[in-house]
Amino acid sequence: MSRARQLPWVRAAMAAVSLLAAAAVQAHGLATCDAGPEEKWQPKEKLERQLTDKGWKIRRVKVDGGCYEVYAVTAKGDKIEAYFHPLTLQQVAAKTE
Amino acid sequence: MKPPRGAVTVWDPLVRLLHWGLAASVIGAFLLGDWLHRPDHAWHERLGYAALAIVALRAAWGVVGPRHARFTGFVRGPRATWAYLRQLLRHTEPRYLGHNPLGGWMVVALLLNTLLAGASGWLGTTDAYWGEPWVQDLHAWSGQAFLPLVALHLAGVVFTSLRHRESLVRAMLTGRKPAPAPGDVE
Repeated sequence: MSRARQLPWVRAAMAAVSLLAAAAVQAHGLATCDAGPEEKWQPKEKLERQLTDKGWKIRRVKVDGGCYEVYAVTAKGDKIEAYFHPLTLQQVAAKTE
Repeated sequence: MKPPRGAVTVWDPLVRLLHWGLAASVIGAFLLGDWLHRPDHAWHERLGYAALAIVALRAAWGVVGPRHARFTGFVRGPRATWAYLRQLLRHTEPRYLGHNPLGGWMVVALLLNTLLAGASGWLGTTDAYWGEPWVQDLHAWSGQAFLPLVALHLAGVVFTSLRHRESLVRAMLTGRKPAPAPGDVE
């Protein structure tokens, strides 16, 4: 394989890598929340209480895209991934498995 | 693509089919993964299960398949692998008709990582492990690990092809490679 024949190959690989990198930068979850600094957010515990009262069994709460991201099983038994706005604790997006 | 004169068949049809099938399903599942957060995960999951099935078939074929497909034919111990690496750095490594010792470990690493990613992905959809942090993290990490592993795999293929002046990509398509010369490892 000569160096000249390698070039298109290398160029294609570099294009693919930059495309992936661009996609990774764009990567986001089900939603994004513009909620400002975390010190002003409502506490995670309050959201957990609110959801537990609804009958959800909470499996994991983390922060994604500036929102609280919750993995839980609903009272009906559905596996749900839901996003909540940290200031209002309103659900902004959800998907069930 | 005409195989070179004096070519011999090295990769049987099933090895080739499983190789390209695994490449397609892993790349597809990767691109449809959570990092792009598609609203519908159905195809990510289907491709993941396809990859798991391919790993299972390849593992079985690695036990009962023909010589160059068998794990015992290409998985070498640490001493032999280290010796090969030293030869490689001195530019004196022999040409292998099948997988060379480093290539053999690359196969094992890719199969194991697919197993890890597929199994953790499935586990994360079960009632018992839904949202389980270690399952999610394992799935994310094994998914990301495909980037360096595949890069290393491709680099090894290009490097070995250039070094021994044969296209390993074509060999994996046609199954055929130039007949062994004196000094080659069959």
